[in-house]
Amino acid sequence: MKMPHLKKILASFLVATLLLASACTQTAPSRFDQAQRDSTKGGVEAVADKAVKGGSFNKFFPKSQNGYNVVYSQEKKGFAQAKLKKGSQEFATLSISDTTSTPSAASKFKTSSKKIGGYPAVSQGSTGTAVLVGDRFQVKVLSRDSSFTARDREAWLQKFNLSGLKRLK
Amino acid sequence: MSKPIYELVNELPTKNITTFALNSLDFAVPGQWQNLVGFENTIRTVTGETDESMIQQIGDRAVYLFNDKSEGYQRALWLYQTIDGTGSNLGKLALANKVGEKVPLLGLLNRLTPKADKLQTIDLSLKLVVEIVAFCKINGIPGDSIGDFVSALVDNYTGPSLMRMAALVCFDGLIPLGPDFLRKVTSVLGGLTPKELEKNEGFKRINDSIPGSNTSGKLDFIGESFGSVKGWMDSFVRDRNLTPQKVTNHLQNFIDVSDDRLDYLAAFLDMSTNYYEHTGIQTLARSLVERAVAEI
Repeated sequence: MKMPHLKKILASFLVATLLLASACTQTAPSRFDQAQRDSTKGGVEAVADKAVKGGSFNKFFPKSQNGYNVVYSQEKKGFAQAKLKKGSQEFATLSISDTTSTPSAASKFKTSSKKIGGYPAVSQGSTGTAVLVGDRFQVKVLSRDSSFTARDREAWLQKFNLSGLKRLK
Repeated sequence: MSKPIYELVNELPTKNITTFALNSLDFAVPGQWQNLVGFENTIRTVTGETDESMIQQIGDRAVYLFNDKSEGYQRALWLYQTIDGTGSNLGKLALANKVGEKVPLLGLLNRLTPKADKLQTIDLSLKLVVEIVAFCKINGIPGDSIGDFVSALVDNYTGPSLMRMAALVCFDGLIPLGPDFLRKVTSVLGGLTPKELEKNEGFKRINDSIPGSNTSGKLDFIGESFGSVKGWMDSFVRDRNLTPQKVTNHLQNFIDVSDDRLDYLAAFLDMSTNYYEHTGIQTLARSLVERAVAEI
């Protein structure tokens, strides 16, 4: 009486093992699968056609000062970024982006009650502070070293030529 | 279509011949390269961010940017992968069970073919051109901007990008060509004809991505690229007193090799590592994450 029972157990164990083994050969699901599916549909672009050239942002960045060097690192359509360095050490990144490509980036400022340099400002995560200029251009400073505080980020945001950027079309 | 960026980064090996070889170069670029593996891990490390909703947004935006072919990231990946594709699976086949043990080079000699200086010179030069073109694709500077590349190399090259250049100097310059590799490459490149270049397998593959309207123009670009980076390479070697023996000594932690077999060691590294692809994916992921966190 006991033998068939054992066989049953063994068989189900075998099936379970096989299922597990075949499941392991598949790629595990990722929290970014949805973005992968959405971004590979036909006609989806990451950057809007009417986004301004990254190069047109450069003149609104702060100049190197107080021992910090502003070193440009990326310049793509709708985006420009520079690193704020002292020697070889990076303290922060400075960036301007055109939110035409990322409407949700602009909408987070709607609920903001804080202003920096007269523009709506938000803190983001634990390392970022940003302002929205002319309802379109996001200027952001991100700390890359714990010694670079939220107060430093605010100070550097004000070193951008924000009023000049506001006039950019 | 490429694999999703998060899969590419998640699937980077943590321990293989490539990571052993790169780790052995830590003495030349101390602390610059940790084998950063995993997409979320990369986001957390690069941004210092711990907020889960931020990590989701950063990753999502990076995925969108990578998948937009007009942004150039996929082309850069293809270049890194393709220039490494000239080797074979020797590493995987012969060494599948050897990771963690010392590789005996002597036993592999009959399976390795050292490259002639001319072929090695073209290999090194094409890898350098891939570095410049991929740099421009990723960072958005016009494709033939050698000057911008050189200033970035001096001011902005860190982490996986600096490690890749260190490996280029050591594994494709010093070991196969010797301590005066810069002079050798200059001389071989100077005598190279467009016809010879056209016959090269690596060139055939990446030809379309090299600036220049014909082979002669592309050869000029290759020569100009090497000419502009030569000074940086020279300082890199001098500042660290790098010699083939020094590099070999550090490789000896995982491979048994004698100094008179350096051409075979170079062939072994060429066939069993894919350091351009490995560190290229890491460079790409970093750049995407840095842009994504700034744009969200």
